Amino acid sequence: MGQLIKLEVLRVLRNRRYLFFTVVFPAMMYFFYSSSFKNQMFDGISYKTYYMVSMATFGTVGAALNTAMRISLERKSGWTRQLRLTALPGWAYVLSKVVAAGVVTLPAVVVVFAMGAFQGVHFPVSTWLGMGFAVWAGGFVFAAAGVALGYAAAPDTVQPITMVSYMGMAFLGGSWFPLTGGLKTVGQYTPVYLYNELAKYPVNGVSVGASQIAGLAAYLAVFAALAAWLYQRDRKTV
Amino acid sequence: MTTSTEVVTGADRKGSATRGANGHPTEVAAFRDVSKEFGSVKAVNGSSFTLHPGETVAFLGPNGAGKSTSIDMLLGLKDPSAGEVTLFGGTPRQAIMAGRVGVMLQSGGLLPEVTVRELVTFACKVHPRGYDVDEVLTTAQILDLADRKVDKLSGGQEQRVRFALATAGDSDLIVLDEPTTGMDVTARQAFWSVMKAQADAGRTILFATHYLEEADAIADRVLVMHKGRLIADGTAAEIKARAGQRRISFDLHPGDGGDASLLNALPGITALDVSGTGGGQTVRISTSDADATMAAVYRAGLYPRGLEVAGVGLEQAFITITAEAAGTEAN
Repeated sequence: MGQLIKLEVLRVLRNRRYLFFTVVFPAMMYFFYSSSFKNQMFDGISYKTYYMVSMATFGTVGAALNTAMRISLERKSGWTRQLRLTALPGWAYVLSKVVAAGVVTLPAVVVVFAMGAFQGVHFPVSTWLGMGFAVWAGGFVFAAAGVALGYAAAPDTVQPITMVSYMGMAFLGGSWFPLTGGLKTVGQYTPVYLYNELAKYPVNGVSVGASQIAGLAAYLAVFAALAAWLYQRDRKTV
Repeated sequence: MTTSTEVVTGADRKGSATRGANGHPTEVAAFRDVSKEFGSVKAVNGSSFTLHPGETVAFLGPNGAGKSTSIDMLLGLKDPSAGEVTLFGGTPRQAIMAGRVGVMLQSGGLLPEVTVRELVTFACKVHPRGYDVDEVLTTAQILDLADRKVDKLSGGQEQRVRFALATAGDSDLIVLDEPTTGMDVTARQAFWSVMKAQADAGRTILFATHYLEEADAIADRVLVMHKGRLIADGTAAEIKARAGQRRISFDLHPGDGGDASLLNALPGITALDVSGTGGGQTVRISTSDADATMAAVYRAGLYPRGLEVAGVGLEQAFITITAEAAGTEAN
């Protein structure tokens, strides 16, 4: 089990596409946003903080959804078949993907947060850790979605679906710009919006973000159930 | 009906391989009246056979004969629609969890973005009785490729890595699905010499192939599949005798003399076709003993011109055996 996780983490960290989309790209976007908005404020939050959180979650969601492409490819290549012929239990594969996603989302969070601190975002250590933990833990909701997507279809279908849902969710989740009016009415129920809100809890005036936690837990339950069902379906058709 | 024959070859051989599992010490694997349907297609149709410890068994048949489906069921990757499959007296999954089976898949099944050594290390570590990585790499003759990325290998090199995955631990049964596909002759020979060492170590080996020569050279026992049915089960020599037809053709010129009617009395003939008249005749013969047939042709005083002797292709051999099987069933 540990062996499989080790192999997974190694592979993802070696993947340049992963590095670009989940670490370099969000960091670049953050640099761009924080330099263009300087010290402006929105709803009592500085843009530097706002985008620090939303770019960290953007990278995390990207890393988590990347799981979809990998599962889909490995189903096609026969690696999942080969694993079923080892002494590892059947769920070990999915677990290794989720754990690996949990590990490889950390660089995305750390890099963007470090840039935020460099740009002058100030928090007590406990707040940094709390926000970091919120971003990291929330990433598992999207890892579950990634597993479900990976078992849903073949690689050439999964890739565009993943990209569209990734960008769409980021847009409706207020990752690119703060939502107002009609967009907010719709967007506030989407998973990335809840995720961004939760990760901003220290500056949002929300005490723990109970409603966001409940919302994300509901999404997690739905994605996990979907993933479990698609996974079972796949095992019957190999 | 030949599909339920249980030829006990090699059961008493290499007894050390027997681990005496679940009270079935002489049974490695068993198919009991197994069928598999995909929609209206019967991929496997009521096949029964037993594999015994220490045997090297070839699963022979053309593409689409049901070999891969049978192997998938043997390994528990697919469930049979009817019948029962057991491995070491239990379910395939139990045998795999216990590390008793090493498998080399036909294609794919390799992980990109890791080195050969990392992949093989993984296989060794997850096997309940895994071997030392360097030992496995050496046996598979890929020690020199150890630091290469898996996605940067040639077809033949990939096959050797798959072989390493199948032999990463102390398994009792090794299953190989068309292991030499895409290998050239030299690579194929090298592969089988390595495989032979596995058999000599007392392991039971089952491999699927559509090369008759491969089955002949390697296997103690050959299971022939055709259209989902197990149509023959015996030693390579027995199968060859059934499939070992030769086709002979030559021309007879009237000026050379000899009596063409003598052809009917030739030994070994299974089919005879004489065409043409006057200016010359073309003779086509199918025989089970080409040497005897030709010796008799010369002894009869005939002067064959443009003589050609050709082995019957495997395709033709299957048609022959299938026709026999169909005949047996009708009776």
